[in-house]
Amino acid sequence: MSFERNSPAAVAGRSAAVAGAETLPPFGVSAARDLSARLLPPLLAVASVISIWWALYLIYPRLLPSPLSTVAEAVRLVTDGTFFFHMYQSLRRVFVGALIAMFFSVGVGIYMGTVMMGERFFQPLVVLGLTIPGLMWALIAVMLFGINEFSPYFAVTVTIFPMLVINIWAGVKSLDKELIDMSHVFHFTKRMKITQVILPQLVPNIFAATRYGLGLAWKVVVVVEMFGTSNGVGYQVMKSYQIFNMEGVIAWTLTFVVAMILIEYGFINFAERRLTAWRPKIDVWRR
Amino acid sequence: MAELVVKDAEKWFRRENGEPLKVIDRLSFEAREGAVTVLIGPSGCGKSTLLNSIVGLEKLDRGELRFLDGGESGRRPLIGYVFQSPRLLPWKTVAENIGLALEGAGVPRAERVARTERYLKLVHLEEYAHQFPLYLSGGQRQRIGLARALAVESEIVLMDEPFASVDELTARRLRQTTRRLCEQLRRTVLFVTHNLAEAAYMSDYVVTLTARPARLDAYVANPLPSPRRWGAEIYNFAAELETKVSLKEDDAP
Repeated sequence: MSFERNSPAAVAGRSAAVAGAETLPPFGVSAARDLSARLLPPLLAVASVISIWWALYLIYPRLLPSPLSTVAEAVRLVTDGTFFFHMYQSLRRVFVGALIAMFFSVGVGIYMGTVMMGERFFQPLVVLGLTIPGLMWALIAVMLFGINEFSPYFAVTVTIFPMLVINIWAGVKSLDKELIDMSHVFHFTKRMKITQVILPQLVPNIFAATRYGLGLAWKVVVVVEMFGTSNGVGYQVMKSYQIFNMEGVIAWTLTFVVAMILIEYGFINFAERRLTAWRPKIDVWRR
Repeated sequence: MAELVVKDAEKWFRRENGEPLKVIDRLSFEAREGAVTVLIGPSGCGKSTLLNSIVGLEKLDRGELRFLDGGESGRRPLIGYVFQSPRLLPWKTVAENIGLALEGAGVPRAERVARTERYLKLVHLEEYAHQFPLYLSGGQRQRIGLARALAVESEIVLMDEPFASVDELTARRLRQTTRRLCEQLRRTVLFVTHNLAEAAYMSDYVVTLTARPARLDAYVANPLPSPRRWGAEIYNFAAELETKVSLKEDDAP
């Protein structure tokens, strides 16, 4: 018997195999059904949005550009390289700001959830922070720090920080006391308690916060870029707006959305699946 | 010689309405070295509270706990604990769960793998070392909890109704495994139950407690020979225990 380290997904596979039946049922049909059940709903959702857009274009052709010409504009942006440069600038601002916010919010959230004094001190500040719109922070950042890279970082960090803290604080409050007691009984160090017992329990909260936080960070970054930087997706949207180029505005928005979807499905979903591979699948609606 | 001495222990809780509630009242007994001492008493009489006080999850209001070793330094002694539910980290594999307990116990990294392997073999679960706990049955998880508590190789092992959450057949197999390991490893075990037959099978000594607040009711030596076998004599001794102790719920306030 060897005890080499294994990826959670691989371990989950083995766990299911050992716990499962010795004779496997035929997988072909169910795999195809599973794939279609997974792909069909999001494709239908996208198709319904495009249909509405197309219908509106047919009714108001002067106001809205056609979906085809907008896609063509988006393809042009991608092929001539403009997209990659500006998207990189925006992504960098979003991720740096979100990472700074995440770093501090995990610490503050755990502190608030575990120390009464911490909760009393930070709770009013967090509630106050939640009431201030991201747009205000964007304006304040540009007024305070001027047109430089610090403004979007600051605006993103302070906008999403309270929301991340709220999520993590709520997660800490619902930690499994029995596991915490177990870690105490077996003399886990503080580091072990945080990394092996507390943080894994906060994974669903952290992912929920990340999803919401990134969406919010995008919005704030775009606003800051509109009047506080000379590059980035927000800057490009503003440029298109100033010459009333509706195709440009929507094309940039579309590329933006595609980037977000890629991040969600290519990165966040993937990371979440790997980190929660230990959890057996639950089918609530089975009959 | 006694490995653990409980002397004049007293513990109070506060009810939601603020009224004080005494759960343990001047309780004194000792758990003898290398033997299994079974604490038996009605549900809610304070057995688990006492175990939690021994491992430092609760603090006694009065009285003292004396450990044969480790008492002088003032440091909380390392104690193996088998909980009522297994309390395994579901995101860690079986081997990692035991490995973390060993890390907490200060076992060098190089030794952890071999020790994990050894104790998983003792509970016949070595093939499940790399599985996640949620993919195992309740009985298997409880055996991993047992392996973890024994693997830290502390002098004292506490077991808090460890088989209460599994079916009777599984519980019987788990009792056999646990009793075999107790006889083989000669650890000082404090075993809590409210099942008389279980107490008769598992014990070398039986400490019976009154209904809340828990006081010492009787201290009985188990006359049955080891290795223990599950048979009529277990039920006879259980019946005898029943006559000796007063497990009356009526005493509760």
